[in-house]
Amino acid sequence: MTKMSDRLKIVFMLCVAFVTTGGQHFESKVAQLLQDETEDIKCFVELKDLTCFWEEEEERNDLQYTFTYSYENKNKMACVVSSLSLLASNKTVFFCKLPKTPFFTTLDVQVFRDGRMLYSRSLNAENYLFLDPPRNLTVLSSGKEGQLNVSWLPPLLKYMDDSMIYEVRYAVEGSNMGKVEVIKVSTMLVLLGLQSDTRYKVWVRVKPDGVAYKGYWSAWTEPVLGVTQPSDLDPLIMVLVLFIGLILCLLSMTVILSHHKFLLKKLWPDIPTPEHKFPGLFTVYKGDFKEWMSQNNSSMWGRSVQVYTEELPSPLEVLSEVSLTSHGTSQREERKPVEEDEEKESERSDSGLTDRWREPPQAHWLMEQLRALQENPQSLSQSLLVQSHDTYVTLNQNSQGDGEREVDDVFEETLPLQTLFTTTGTTSLSTSHSDLGSLQQSSGSGRLSSQSSFEYPNQTWPPKGPGYTYMAVADSGVSMDYSPMSSSRITELGRHRMYTNDYKNEIFLHKWPLFGEHNKSGSESCMGPVW
Amino acid sequence: MQTFTGLVSVLLVFLWLGGNLVSPLRPICDLRVLDHFVREARDSEVIMRGCRGGCGAMKSYFVPLTSVDFAVLEHMDVNGQAVEVQTGLSLLDQALNNAMKTVSNSPLANALDNNISNIHSLGQILHSLDLQQARSTVLPDDSAPASTQTQEVSSLPELLQVQSSFLRGKVRLLLSAAPACQRQNS
Repeated sequence: MTKMSDRLKIVFMLCVAFVTTGGQHFESKVAQLLQDETEDIKCFVELKDLTCFWEEEEERNDLQYTFTYSYENKNKMACVVSSLSLLASNKTVFFCKLPKTPFFTTLDVQVFRDGRMLYSRSLNAENYLFLDPPRNLTVLSSGKEGQLNVSWLPPLLKYMDDSMIYEVRYAVEGSNMGKVEVIKVSTMLVLLGLQSDTRYKVWVRVKPDGVAYKGYWSAWTEPVLGVTQPSDLDPLIMVLVLFIGLILCLLSMTVILSHHKFLLKKLWPDIPTPEHKFPGLFTVYKGDFKEWMSQNNSSMWGRSVQVYTEELPSPLEVLSEVSLTSHGTSQREERKPVEEDEEKESERSDSGLTDRWREPPQAHWLMEQLRALQENPQSLSQSLLVQSHDTYVTLNQNSQGDGEREVDDVFEETLPLQTLFTTTGTTSLSTSHSDLGSLQQSSGSGRLSSQSSFEYPNQTWPPKGPGYTYMAVADSGVSMDYSPMSSSRITELGRHRMYTNDYKNEIFLHKWPLFGEHNKSGSESCMGPVW
Repeated sequence: MQTFTGLVSVLLVFLWLGGNLVSPLRPICDLRVLDHFVREARDSEVIMRGCRGGCGAMKSYFVPLTSVDFAVLEHMDVNGQAVEVQTGLSLLDQALNNAMKTVSNSPLANALDNNISNIHSLGQILHSLDLQQARSTVLPDDSAPASTQTQEVSSLPELLQVQSSFLRGKVRLLLSAAPACQRQNS
């Protein structure tokens, strides 16, 4: 007995619970429609049963309501009227639930109060569905950042699963600003674009889609909380990235420091200065070239000779035919005036000259020598070169005047002379001849004549024309003998300047270190001075 | 000439085979097609409400019953439903054709024409679902007595409303319960 009573109690409790829950739903729907619906008699379908209700205007218990309905031209049927007291709004409504509600047909509903028609309405039941909210709402965090997976179950209704439309509302917990997503038929949704590592509240409600069935929006479900995934930037990863960055920076710094000189040269190259070639020019004399030149006169000269041994043409020195014995003294006597002239010439020639080339002072000296020779033709033999180290030049008797004029005339007349020279020495001489010509032109005040000739004692050299003084000539790398020039030729020169050279001259030994070497060797091979 | 006759004979054979060995129609189970017809039936109702002049004469039409009782429906078999739907569709087709004769308003006439073609398409859909059990029984004329399965309406708006209700209710429930579609879903 006790077991039976217990079971009955349990069943009763369950029934009460079911009714109350159903009642809660019903009551809430009634309450909601009471606010939203404008019709006098409000009807809705819940679980395929149509319920029509109306609000009681006056609190009177003795009123008798009659509810009738009919459809498809059938006879009217009556429905039992019940009353309901709404706790929330403290109102009383009368309602009637139609049993076996026909769908897809027009229903005519009428309410009578004390025999008089109160309300009347024609409606199709399938157009007023008031569904229950969706069931089993779940919110889960998806694998990706800023996303949430929302899923639910439709309300229990047969034949209508494919005619439902859902609305999902979500908002950050604590915030009132929510967004709404509408979804048809499907009972799951992925929310996108959410903040990471945030708690969200989600609601869902349902409504018929309006094609086959129509109705009201259901009530919102109870909110369900979901948390989005935190952002991907793990602190461990950040630390590792920083560490690796630091190591790379250190490596690059060490590389740069170890090769900083090289890099600096590449990025900021030095501007080349000629200071190493001109010692003291910028430091001592502060760029004053004239002063520097005057100070470094002699040393510069020797150096330039060494540097440009192979580039500039060789100067030619003229050998006179005068005898060595008588000429020696006259040579020395004329040294002084020659030196004076040298200084004058050097002063004149300084202007416009580059550092690399100067008009050789011995050019003027040679001119003086030849002048002396002209005055004293007998001394010509003295100046014969036995051990000659220079290239010798003959003066053209037709040459007149100074400088370039003389040079030009000499050029014109000496051109046929070049054909006389057939040895290798001659070619070099001719080149030096032309070089001399250029030399003359560049100097602007050259006194050297550019005429040259060779005489080889071992070979027969027919004298080609009058007025040419043959002299023994030596060039670089060529060994030759020298024969004295005929004195008759010398006298014909007349006013022309002639250059003589004493190869034993100390000046040359000093200025031409190359010659000194050859002098010592005592050989007849000569190296011409090369500019 | 001989090759030509040979080719013709081969073609004839293929046509015969094609006619006989035609593959059965694939079942149309997507209810969105029916929803499209339902929307167009509703559009006719809207046009009817806005029609001013030439909107058809007052005439009685025999139309099918549209009410659906879910409790009864659960116990009814599919074939019974199919017969009911077939009869109803034929009735509607007839009624709409009669109504179009009295309509001069062109939008309304177009809408009605649309509805008639939709009903024919529904017949094809039922055929694809192997539910065309009973051929449509053409009623002789409007003056015939109403059967238990029919009702009488007196105006075109009511006719259109019946059409809409019928499509949304009985036809839809039949299509959703069609065995051919159930086999596909399961």
